[in-house]
Order: sequence, then C-alpha cells, then structure tokens
Amino acid sequence: MTTTTYNEAVACVPRAGTLYDVLELILDRGMVIDVFVRVSLVGIEILKIDARIVVASVDTYLRFAEVCNRLDLNQDATSRTVPELFSGMASGLSRTGAKRAAKSVGGKVKEAIGVAGEDEDEDERAEEERDRLEETEDRPRKRRTAEAASGSRGSGGSGGGRSRGDSRRSEEA
Amino acid sequence: MAASRVYVYGIVHAGRALPPDARGVGRPPAPVRLLPAGALAAVVSDVPDDLRARRRDLMAHQDLLMRLGTDAPVLPMRFGMVAEDARTVEEAVAAATAGHLAVLERLRGRTELNLKATPAQSEIEALVRADAGVRRLMTQVRRTPSYEGNVRLGQAVAEGLARRAAEAVEEVLPALTALADDFVRGPDVPGCVLNGSFLVPKAVSERFRAEVERFAAAHAERVELRLTGPLPCYSFVPQDGAEPAPPGRPSAQYAVTGS
Repeated sequence: MTTTTYNEAVACVPRAGTLYDVLELILDRGMVIDVFVRVSLVGIEILKIDARIVVASVDTYLRFAEVCNRLDLNQDATSRTVPELFSGMASGLSRTGAKRAAKSVGGKVKEAIGVAGEDEDEDERAEEERDRLEETEDRPRKRRTAEAASGSRGSGGSGGGRSRGDSRRSEEA
Repeated sequence: MAASRVYVYGIVHAGRALPPDARGVGRPPAPVRLLPAGALAAVVSDVPDDLRARRRDLMAHQDLLMRLGTDAPVLPMRFGMVAEDARTVEEAVAAATAGHLAVLERLRGRTELNLKATPAQSEIEALVRADAGVRRLMTQVRRTPSYEGNVRLGQAVAEGLARRAAEAVEEVLPALTALADDFVRGPDVPGCVLNGSFLVPKAVSERFRAEVERFAAAHAERVELRLTGPLPCYSFVPQDGAEPAPPGRPSAQYAVTGS
C-alpha cells in the first residue's frame, strides 16, 4: 500500500506511514457482522474530535486572514507569487503558518496513534499512547484544543514524515 | 469465558492456505488460524487481553488483510470485531454464505483505491482576486481591524478554498469512476472535500493512478489529491450484516469549515 501526494508544494498533512490516510477505512468501513461485538475505540473518537477542532480552528482562520492582510492587490499579480509571500512571512507568522496548523493536525493524530515511530520501542510506545488517550479523555475540552493547536512538535519521536516538515521549517526560518 | 473469544480479520474461500508467518493483533502478535465454515473460512486469532486501536494492532489487521488479498479475494472485517466464541463465527458465516460468495466473486482481481482531496492553500491571492465576498471582508478588516473581522475573513477564505477544491473534484470524478467498477464516498474526514474509494481491477490500477496524477498536476492550484492503495476492499463489503455496500451519499463538501 502506498500513498501518493501529487502536490508536494503544499503538503498539508504529514504522512510518514500510510495509516493516517486509511485510519477511517480500517475503523469505519469493512465488514460488520451483527452478532459480533467491537472493542472499545474511545481513544480514536477523541482523536477525531481533536483533528476537527484544529482544522476548522480560529487559529487557522487567523492565519488565512493574516495572509489576506498582507496581500497587495494593486501590485502586479505576477510580480510576487504567493509561495514567495508564504516564505517571506515565515518569521512574521512565527511557528504557526496555515500549513503548520494543518500539519499539526496530522501530527497530533499520528503521534497519538503512534504512526510516527517505526523504530521506537513499541511496548513503551503503547503504554505512553494508552496513558495519553486516557488522560486526554479526562482533560477539559478547552485544554485539549489548545494542546492540539500548539502541535505535536514538543514531544514524541522523530518520525520519518516529520523530517521533511522539519527541514522545510528550517529553510523558512 | 473471555479466553474463548475470537478476533475476526476477514472471510475467504475455504481451502485457502494462510501465509506461512501470518500474525495478528496483540503483543506478541497472536498466531492466526482458519475457521472453516462450509464453502468459506474465517481468518481468526485469539483476542489479546487489552485490545485497543493501537498503531501496531491497526497495522497488524491491515497487513494481514493485504497479504490475504494478494492473490485471492478476501472480505475484510472492520477493525476490532470480536465474536464470543468460534461457534458464533461459524454460524454467522455459514448463515450468509451465498451473499459472501457473491461478494468474493465481485472482488476477485480487484482492489480498493482511496482518494482524498484537500484544498490547496497556496492560492489565497487567486481566491481573493476571484471572490468579491472575500475582498469585501478584507476591505472591511483593513478599514477597521478587529479580531472578529479577522476570524470572519479567515473563515471566508477557508470556505472559498474548500469550494474551489470541491469544484475541481467534481470535474475529475467522472473520468475516475469510468475506470472503476464502483465508487463510494467514505466517512467525512476533517479537512477533506472528498474521501472516496474506488473498486478498481488490479490491471487498471496503474492507469487509474496516472489519471489522478495527470489531473492533480493540472489543478494543483485548487486541490491537493492523495491516492492510497492498493487496499483491502473495506468499502465494498457488506457494512451491516446483510446489506451490500451502501450507495454513494453526498459528502459534506466543505468539511474544512467544520462543524
């Protein structure tokens, strides 16, 4: 199984493994037989909620507004391309460009389900992950949102998918 | 009686051999076995004590189904389906044998390809130039800057980007569905304007991929496409016991604006 992204210029969700892109298929599709029961998926539901909050977040809207407010529509459209604008703004946008806000969505999900760490100790990872999910469940919604919005860069391993994002980040800095 | 519960991965034709080192969910991975039921067999293992949707277990489920589907059809179960005991599985499978055999035939030589489309975010300027509503909000915000104004402006941009992406997707769908035996829209995924799965003959999958690539390159300013596959045919098996895969339903076109 492979995932192919056709627009490398604007990678908005990191995909180290391919699990992130098929998570909803494995969890929500596939055959169901009525007499079977299903294991608890509480943690996963929480992940989905977190992802939704970030994607449609005020933070994302403010990034978009900031891009708009920096546009000069009187200028010749060809004189300055939007990608230049994005990269030029990197410092102004601090650490949370629109792209990154989106990135952190995937990062959060990926981190919580442990997609990132091919090489990590799985046992430790699993425990950590379970603790996280249970903790997340008890935490007030507001704090979860804030944490999700601030992204996943602070913790977790260095997954393959993040390396590209990281290098991009350093290019922009 | 917890010890006798069985985790069910999928259903295959009877008489098939499992891959020699087939492993299932759990730590250590549970050995996988076949549970014959007439013309069919269920692929099962014991249930780990603390089964949850962990990465390794999701991957184990997925990997086993991928391997089973390499050279013969398989009906993939949803992750986490557990039966009380082996007999429950045998009875359930036997009771639906005719339907399962029909679906297995339909899936023979075919694979699932999943396409997700997200709005391209690099073309905000183009959107602003094209969208009078966004321009109006922008002018207002510049005249009287406010937090609420910025949120409204950003939201309008997000909606505009999603709309452009959704329009692009509707343009490519006819060409893609023409290459596929079937197409269903999957569960809404935050940020995606399309999450759809295609049932594609394996022989056609490269052509399908090339078509997606061609379109993606031509419309990169509006939409980003991600094609994943080959996959077990999760979206083309009965979802609720008896019913065939549900027909495509309209997805939330502007999921990026969220609810």
